Amino acid sequence: MNLKKYLSLTRAGIMESLQFRMSTVIIFVGNLLYLIVVYFLWKAIYASSGQEVVNGMTFSDTLIYLVLATALFNFMEMYAVWEIGRAIQSGKIVLDLIKPMKYRTYLFWSYSGSFVVNFFATLFPTFIVVCFVTHGAIPLGLNLLYFVISVVLAVMINYNIDFFVGTICLYTESIWGINIMKQVIVLLLSGATIPIAFFPETIRNIVYYLPFQSIYNAPLTLLLGKSPELKDTAIVIGTQLIWFLITYAISRLFWKISLPQITVNGG
Amino acid sequence: MKRKGLLFYLKLYCKILAQDLKSKMSYRADFIISTIGMIFTNIAGFVSFWILFRNFSTINGWGYYEMLFLYGFSLVSLTPAQCFFDNNWSLRQYVYSGDFIKYCFRPINLFFYYQSEVFDIKGLGQLAFGLGTIIYSWIKLGLGFTPLMLIKMIVFLITASLVMIALQTAAAATCFWIHNSFFVLDLAFRFKDYAKYPITIFSSVFRFIFTFIMPIAFIAYYPSLVILRPDEVPLLSWLSPLFGIAFFYIAYRIWMYGAMKYNGTGS
Repeated sequence: MNLKKYLSLTRAGIMESLQFRMSTVIIFVGNLLYLIVVYFLWKAIYASSGQEVVNGMTFSDTLIYLVLATALFNFMEMYAVWEIGRAIQSGKIVLDLIKPMKYRTYLFWSYSGSFVVNFFATLFPTFIVVCFVTHGAIPLGLNLLYFVISVVLAVMINYNIDFFVGTICLYTESIWGINIMKQVIVLLLSGATIPIAFFPETIRNIVYYLPFQSIYNAPLTLLLGKSPELKDTAIVIGTQLIWFLITYAISRLFWKISLPQITVNGG
Repeated sequence: MKRKGLLFYLKLYCKILAQDLKSKMSYRADFIISTIGMIFTNIAGFVSFWILFRNFSTINGWGYYEMLFLYGFSLVSLTPAQCFFDNNWSLRQYVYSGDFIKYCFRPINLFFYYQSEVFDIKGLGQLAFGLGTIIYSWIKLGLGFTPLMLIKMIVFLITASLVMIALQTAAAATCFWIHNSFFVLDLAFRFKDYAKYPITIFSSVFRFIFTFIMPIAFIAYYPSLVILRPDEVPLLSWLSPLFGIAFFYIAYRIWMYGAMKYNGTGS
């Protein structure tokens, strides 16, 4: 495998991301505001419940979970649905298809640069800040390794889902509607807005059988796990691996079937 | 030149609206999917409240149905911004490409003409969902019903909606000065998610910020107190219509100032 051609896409992606420094600042401000709202909301919730621990989570557990979920979201969000949808509408996709690389591979690697930038700009700093502020609420040990593995799988599952949803745009000519539906489902059912521990039991059991919790809940559970047993860790990562394979197969097959459907006007 | 009256603008709006709807009809699938997507986001908000209140009976003295009332109020008061001022999202591209100059040569109000060009139908789904939520929680709370309450409700809903319109318009106007203003607009758009929480959960510093600097408390909290807790209405609630008008006027001035400064791109 010629890795060089992929890495050149990564480099281009890094340079592109660094062009838009202003937007990074505004995204940062936006996230800060979001976290302030989340902080006060959950503080009020815990204050009025009168309990220290609810569903096995303390106030600081919940807060760390939600802060890191937000950081993960910013790290992973690729807007691939928009990219595919716009490429189809504008006809640019024709140029991408004749590249000497599969489209889904090309798209993934062209985003890899922004992963690198986002890692150093958001995920890593957030992690350090949380570590310092909470005085070791995050155990530093093997769980970090599991977390990294889990995040890599989460990124790929997320990409597969995005790619699948983007393919739907071939048929519908609607980007906004499709994308918002995907975003709502993923954010709610992955536990990024409310930790899954708070869900009523029946819903929680259903959610565990869906691929979405593998995106946010799985890596965060591994990271914050107090006493990680090898068996539990294996189950979490194994589930992610299975979901990765399933989503990969489905999104690939769907793309293969749909590709002949493309009609490009001009372009 | 004679000043054009309100009736003139109303007639003109209907004519432009008819043209816009005709062009939208050619993308029927997009309209249906976008409407479903919109309702999806609203249901997700509803579900997250439902999950929260399965675990906690009150938040800072606010019950489930009171929170739903706030949520419904915020959805309805956000609808005008969504329906009538959606063209703000495209302003950035018009300014960037130079097409904005075409709006400057019409003998009618520039702001009116620009905003009238797009009517976003999918906002109506949100309106229906919001009204349903208000009525549901209204009945459950046993607030009673008098014609005066209805009049109050309508007046406060309309003036509350001016606040979101103002925020979105001011955010869109930043594109006259900075290039990549999408993120500013996106930031303002995310404010709407925070409007559904009672302002009392925040500390005094953020209460001040969310009241006077980023006035999201006027989207739902202050105006809905008039109906929700008629015995303890703070002065700011009664003043909220004035604030709505004031914020809208300021945003309108900013927008017009930017538009008047606009030089075009020379093409």
